Amino acid sequence: MASNIKKKTLEEKLLVRGKAPKDFVGSRKIYFIISLAIILIGIVCNFIFGTTMDIQFTGGSMLKYSYSGTLDDAKLKSLVQEKTPDDIVTFSDSKDLVNNKNMLTVQFSGNTTISADLQDNITKSISKQFPKNSFKLEQSSSVDATMGFSFLLKCLVAVAIAGVLMVLYVTIRFKKIGGLSAGVMGLVALFHDLAIIYFFYVIFRMPIDSSFMAVALMILGYSLNDTVVVYDRVREERRNLGYKADIKDVFNLAATKVMRRTIITSITTITAVVIVYVIAVIYNLDSVKAFALPMIIGLISGCYSSLCIAGPLWVMWKKRDKKAKN
Amino acid sequence: MKRIPKPVFFIVAIFILLFSFSAVFGVSYYVGDNKENVVKGISDIRWGTDIRGGVEATFEPDGVDATDAQLDSAKSIIETRMVSTGITDYELYADYNTDRIIVRFPWKEDEKKFDVKAALEEISSTAELTFRPGNSYESTTIGSDGKYVYKTPTGDTKTVLMNGSAVKKAQAGIDSSSSNSKKSNYVVSLELNDKGAKTFADITGEYTGKVVSIWMDDIMLSAPTIQEKITGGKAQISGDFTAEEATALAEKINAGALPFKLKTSSYGSVSASLGENSLQAMATAGIIAIILISLFMIIMYRLPGIIAVIALIGQMGITIAAISGYFTVFNSFTMTLPGIAGLILSIGMGVDANVITSERIMEEMRSGRTLDGALDRGTKSSLSAIVDGNMTIVIVAIILLLVFGPFNLLSFIFGQSTTGTIYAFGYTLLVGVISNFIMGIGLSRVMLRAVAGYKFARHKWLFGGVKDGE
Repeated sequence: MASNIKKKTLEEKLLVRGKAPKDFVGSRKIYFIISLAIILIGIVCNFIFGTTMDIQFTGGSMLKYSYSGTLDDAKLKSLVQEKTPDDIVTFSDSKDLVNNKNMLTVQFSGNTTISADLQDNITKSISKQFPKNSFKLEQSSSVDATMGFSFLLKCLVAVAIAGVLMVLYVTIRFKKIGGLSAGVMGLVALFHDLAIIYFFYVIFRMPIDSSFMAVALMILGYSLNDTVVVYDRVREERRNLGYKADIKDVFNLAATKVMRRTIITSITTITAVVIVYVIAVIYNLDSVKAFALPMIIGLISGCYSSLCIAGPLWVMWKKRDKKAKN
Repeated sequence: MKRIPKPVFFIVAIFILLFSFSAVFGVSYYVGDNKENVVKGISDIRWGTDIRGGVEATFEPDGVDATDAQLDSAKSIIETRMVSTGITDYELYADYNTDRIIVRFPWKEDEKKFDVKAALEEISSTAELTFRPGNSYESTTIGSDGKYVYKTPTGDTKTVLMNGSAVKKAQAGIDSSSSNSKKSNYVVSLELNDKGAKTFADITGEYTGKVVSIWMDDIMLSAPTIQEKITGGKAQISGDFTAEEATALAEKINAGALPFKLKTSSYGSVSASLGENSLQAMATAGIIAIILISLFMIIMYRLPGIIAVIALIGQMGITIAAISGYFTVFNSFTMTLPGIAGLILSIGMGVDANVITSERIMEEMRSGRTLDGALDRGTKSSLSAIVDGNMTIVIVAIILLLVFGPFNLLSFIFGQSTTGTIYAFGYTLLVGVISNFIMGIGLSRVMLRAVAGYKFARHKWLFGGVKDGE
């Protein structure tokens, strides 16, 4: 069998299963336009809606009750508002489909915390005024504004450190194919993914909280993982094809060959997260929902950016380098 | 290609399944009614406050710039109260830069009311330090540090001789006057203010040779015997103290004379029922994810797919073992909701090493290699992609651990904080990658090569190639 393998010509080597590889570099303009369009929509929305931060970062208070039956919203609202005249109180309702319980979230907009006394007072008077609904305090949170801000800074510093370390790693490991260009373009893909997740939060008016930071970090790692697998294959194909082959063809070949893997791994990973998200919706788990949904978006973006953004950009960089040398 | 003996496949597979089974269910036996763990399983995992329910709070001295020592004393009050009520899984930090004390603790086992206000008051109220005659107490319990806690004064001891306001300061030190040089004698020296010195002189005069006990709230801290009448306002409490015990006692005595009250600046709470619901939900999600991904892998990759599923089960086993404290060298880990989400995420990512390898083997077979040649080339050339790819996840996991963890890398800038729920996410991610190296790369490859020795398995179709002869 081994005797069947004859020495291939360069043209033959550039085929995947007898066909020309997918032209990632040639279609780059379409990819760039798609990404820029999403980012642009995000920026516009950001100007219109602004960014909402969770009380974890801005400071403020939140109370969450479970109750049964139907509720006289207006009466409840005026009751709570009366207790805290300085804050604007907002209510949101949600339902737990498994236990058939209703959840009411009361948020106090002022970034001063409400005291434990006041919280106790509010809870008691709600229970007293609405005895039929059997109110129960399930969750409460009250964050001091200065603590929230320093927590936000800490998260941002963490994301920055992680980004720098990962680019350093890529730069060192991929010296053979021009480490710095690979590292920098990996970083561009990371910024791309971060921007997509951020604008996803903005467009859907979701408050940015510590889950956002965890998702951002996770996607940094995941997206770069995809990019690294592509670079690894480029490095290998480069060795196979020799240095005469056009860098564009090398990349297209490598990317086409790893595309199946990238998509399959993304499918298994996204499947896992989608299951978590669906279950969280059914059981009404806010913290898990806030975690899973942006993760799904980030995973898709991460898989896309390594093949369609980081790679073509890297090829463009290398081509310019070559021209400059000639 | 180096051959691996055929039966190794079954030996490894059975070993992985047995290990994972024991990691999930644990192995234990009963001596009477007591459960004795041989190895720990899922039911022994310590759940975080977002699942068990609990309270987190930040306290600040009310309107006073506290010294570090004062902050330590205030912290020791909370610690004493935690230990004496038998709460083990509490976290407690003092941040000296911002004068904050941060605490997080789960609800007591028998908690029914989940009254946040009462819980906060209970732990942050000003400590009442008293000196009482004798050392009679009503009850003893065992505190969460394993030592006895003596509670509630009775009989003569109900009388209060002097309270904390008489204390100027208490300090731990070594008794230099002691002739016994074999062992260092740690002592607590007590300094009283002018008014306190007079009262103390009277007390020590009256109770010479008798016991006068020192109490914080309802708990006895120490019961020294008065050796002589002390008039200068300076006394020394000696006993078989270790350095830590002496420091702790001094801090607690100082707490009785703190010039400030603690104010709650931030707090949060989760009821136990809400958390229980989440746990059930996440367990369901985990099981569905494993089943779907296993089916997908077997359909996509056939025989290597089955090996991937065995490896995935092994990977879950290792991760669960690393959380529950299965290996006694590793402590058990507190699991939170994001931690479980990370675990489920690593089910999805965990098959990546197998995907890369199997894809590569298929590719090599298509280019005309024999089965053995394809296995050899496929496993070799996919290794660097798997290792480099996983390193980025390792970096992320370590950053998550350092930023949201208890030994906080950035705490010198941003101050101490309790372990965030995200800490567990970093941990499951890291353990996931490490176990992926063991299972997805190491044992998967051993199984793959071993099984290729069986005649029944020597069909390219089983490895995702086209049928022989086609």
